[in-house]
Amino acid sequence: MSGKGLESFKDSAPLSLGVELELQLVSRRDFDLTRGATDLLGSLDYDGRFGEIKLEITESMIEISTQAQRTVDGIAADLAGLRDTLRQHGERNNIGICGGGTHPFHHWPDRRICPGDRFSGLYQRYGYLAKQFTVFGQHIHVGCTSADEAIWLTQALGVHVPAFIALSASSPFVDGVDSFYQSARLNAVSAFPLSGQCPPLNDWPDFCRHFEFLQACGIAQGIKDLYWDVRPKPEFGTVEIRVCDTPLSIEQAIALAAFAQSLARWLLRTRPPLHTDRQAHVARYNKFQACRFGLDAEISDPVGLCQQPLRQTLAPLLEAISEDASALGCLHWLNPLKNQLAEGAGDAAWLRERFQEQGNLNDVVREASERLMR
Amino acid sequence: MIERLLAPLRSVWESLIERLLFLPPFPETIDSLALFSLLLVVGLLIGEWLHAHLRWPKVIGYVLAGIVFGPSALGWISIEALAQARPIADAALGLLMMEVGRRLDLSWLHRNPELLRSTLADISLSFALIFAFALWLVGLSPAWAAATAAVTMASAPAVVLLTIEESRAQGQVTERIILHTAISSAASFIAFAFVLGVVHAELSEDWLNAVVHPLWVVAGAVLIGGLGAWLALLIARALPKRSLAQVFVLVASALLAVGIARMLAVPVFLTLFLMGVLLAARDRRQTLRYTDLPEGHWLLAIVLFVIVGASLPWQEFTWLAGLQALGLLLVRAAAKAAALAWSGGSLPLPKRLLVGVGIQPLSATAVFMAYEIAGLYPEVGRSALALPLFAAAMMELLGPALCRLALGRSGECGAGEKGGIA
Repeated sequence: MSGKGLESFKDSAPLSLGVELELQLVSRRDFDLTRGATDLLGSLDYDGRFGEIKLEITESMIEISTQAQRTVDGIAADLAGLRDTLRQHGERNNIGICGGGTHPFHHWPDRRICPGDRFSGLYQRYGYLAKQFTVFGQHIHVGCTSADEAIWLTQALGVHVPAFIALSASSPFVDGVDSFYQSARLNAVSAFPLSGQCPPLNDWPDFCRHFEFLQACGIAQGIKDLYWDVRPKPEFGTVEIRVCDTPLSIEQAIALAAFAQSLARWLLRTRPPLHTDRQAHVARYNKFQACRFGLDAEISDPVGLCQQPLRQTLAPLLEAISEDASALGCLHWLNPLKNQLAEGAGDAAWLRERFQEQGNLNDVVREASERLMR
Repeated sequence: MIERLLAPLRSVWESLIERLLFLPPFPETIDSLALFSLLLVVGLLIGEWLHAHLRWPKVIGYVLAGIVFGPSALGWISIEALAQARPIADAALGLLMMEVGRRLDLSWLHRNPELLRSTLADISLSFALIFAFALWLVGLSPAWAAATAAVTMASAPAVVLLTIEESRAQGQVTERIILHTAISSAASFIAFAFVLGVVHAELSEDWLNAVVHPLWVVAGAVLIGGLGAWLALLIARALPKRSLAQVFVLVASALLAVGIARMLAVPVFLTLFLMGVLLAARDRRQTLRYTDLPEGHWLLAIVLFVIVGASLPWQEFTWLAGLQALGLLLVRAAAKAAALAWSGGSLPLPKRLLVGVGIQPLSATAVFMAYEIAGLYPEVGRSALALPLFAAAMMELLGPALCRLALGRSGECGAGEKGGIA
C-alpha cells in the first residue's frame, strides 16, 4: 500500500492538461517484450524539458509523462519531444518502443519486477497480478480550480468512461490469441481489489470521509491505492482519467487528451444532472460493453431505462463539445476521433487487420513499433 | 578397460555363434545410435546433477562427462568412437553457429558507435596481446603464435548461447555479450583463414597451398552458407511463419550445409556462421526471422560438449603447458576487460566489465579450429597448438561459470533460472 495519507488538494490552472503513457519495451530481434527499463533509464542523457521518463512496475515497461500544459498543442509538443528522445535512446540500446494496451504475445511469468520499494511492495501485496499488470494505459490529467470541482468532475467523467475506452481501445490480443475484446487490458486491471468506479460522492469533504473510512478499514493508505477509472489527484490538483489504452500513435494520444479537455469544459459549463446512484448500477456493465465491443457497444441508460448504441450517442457528444474545443484551440485534434467514429477503424481494428495480413504477431508488433516512432 | 569388461561376454558369444546360426559376429564397434544415446545420457546426468546441486551451468557437466569417460581418463569413449560421433558434433556446432550468425546485428553498431569502439577494441587487443604472449613469452614461431591468437581471440558462441538460454537472461549485458561474441567470432574466422595461408607458407615449400587453401575455405564457406540460406528462405516463403514446417526447413537446410561442408573439407563452424549471417541479411520479408531452433537442439548440444570434453588432450598435460595456458587466459581476460573499460559509453563501467566477464568462454569452436589447423601438418601442428588446446580445456570448465556469473550479477537472469531442457 502507498504509505502516504490524503494530501490537501492543490488547485491548478483550470482545464490544464497532463498526459502519461505507459509504453512497451520490445526486442528488435523478435519483438517480444524485453527487460530493459532500468538500463534504458540509466543511459538516458535527457534534461527533462518535455516531462519525465520513469520506471513502471516491470522491466518491460516505461512511463512517459508530459509537463502540465494549458493547451493540447503543448501536450503534442511534449509527447513529440519525449518520443524523439526515446527513439534515440532506444536505438542506441537496440530496444524497440511500442504502443498498444497489451503486448499481443508476451509470456507474463518472464516479466521481472523493477527495483524499488514501491514495486517490491506491490509484488508482495498482489503476487502474480503485479506481473500480469504488464499492460499499458494512457492517463489524462485535467486541472481543476477547486477540490469540490474535482469531485464533481470525477463523477461527471465517470459517465463517459465507455467513450474513452472505445476510442482508445488497442488491446485485442492477449497471450497470442484474439481475445474478441477491443480492450482486453482492463480485464487485467479489474483483478485488483480497489479497481472500478468512484462511489457516489457529493463534494471534497464527502471524499475525505470515504477515504478515511477506507483507511480505517486498512484497505487504502494513499490515493495511489485507489485504482479507480477516474480519480481525483490532490497533489496535482487534477482529475485523472485512467481507462484509456495506450494508443498506437502519439497523434491518437493527443486526440484523446483534446477530447478529455473539451469534454471537461463542456461538463463544467453545462453542469448536466449526474444521477450518480443510478449510474453506479450500470457502470460495470457499460464498461464491459465498451471493452468487448468498442464503438459498437450498447450502453445502458439508467435514467431513460433503455440501451443506446455508443456510436449513436458519441457522434452528437463530439458535436456538442466542438464549441468548447474551439474555445480551447484544440478543435483540429478532434478530427481523428470523428473520422474514427465515421469509419469504425480504431487501433484494435488496425492490429487485427495487420494480423490478418501478416499471419503472425511478431510482425504486427514490429509494424506497431514503427507506427509509434514515425 | 572396456575390452577387459567385455572379454567374458565375447567368449560366451563366440562359443554360441557356431550353434546359433542367426547370431551376427560379436560387434567390434558400438552402433552410432547407441553411442549417441550413451553420450547423451551420461552428459545429461552429470550436467543435471551439477546444476541441481551446485547451480553450475549444465555445459560444465557435459564437458566433465567427456573428460571423465574420454581417452584422457577412463577411456570408455575411444578415439574411434569420437571420430564416429563427429558428424553429430558438427551438426550441433553448426546449428549453434548458425544461430549466432543470425544474431549478428551490424545495424546496432551503426546506431551505437560506442559498441563499434568496444568490439573493435576487443578483437584487436585480444589478438595482439595473445599473439605477443605466444611469440615472446611462450616462444612460438610467428605463424603458430598467430594461429594461437586466431583460435583463442573470440568468445565461445555455443557456450554463450546455451548459458544465456539456460538462465533465460534478457537485457543490455546479455545483448552485448551476444554481439561481442558474434563479432569476435567473425574476426576470429577471418584471422583463421589468413593463418591457414601463413602456416602453409611456413611449413610447405609449395606456395600454392598457402594461397589456395584460405581461398578454398572462405569461398567454400560463402558458397555453401549462401546456398543453405537461399534454399531455406526459398522454401520457407511458401510456409506459414513460425510454423513447425519452417523449423524443419531451417534445420534441414543447416544440416545440408553441414554435410556439403564436410564433404568438401570446408570448416563447418565458418560455413554455418556465414549461413546464419546471410539468412539474417537476406531475410527482408522476415520469413525466418522469428523461427527459432527447436528445443531438440539441446540434445545435440549435450553430445557436442561431451565430445569436446573427450577431445581435450589432458593426457598430454604438463605443468609448464598448464602454466602457459593459464598465462594466455589471463592475458586474454585482461585484453577483453581493458577493451570494455576503455570503450566507455552509456552502459555503466561495472556492467561493461560484466560484459567482459561474460565473453570469457573459450570452447568448441576454438578446439575445432585448433584441430583443423593442427591437422594440416600433424607432425608439428599438434604440439604447436597445445597452448590454445589447454587454454580451451581450462576454459571449458571455467567459461560457462564466468558467463553465468556475469548474467547473474547483472540481474538479467529469468525468474527461477530454469531453462534449457530442465
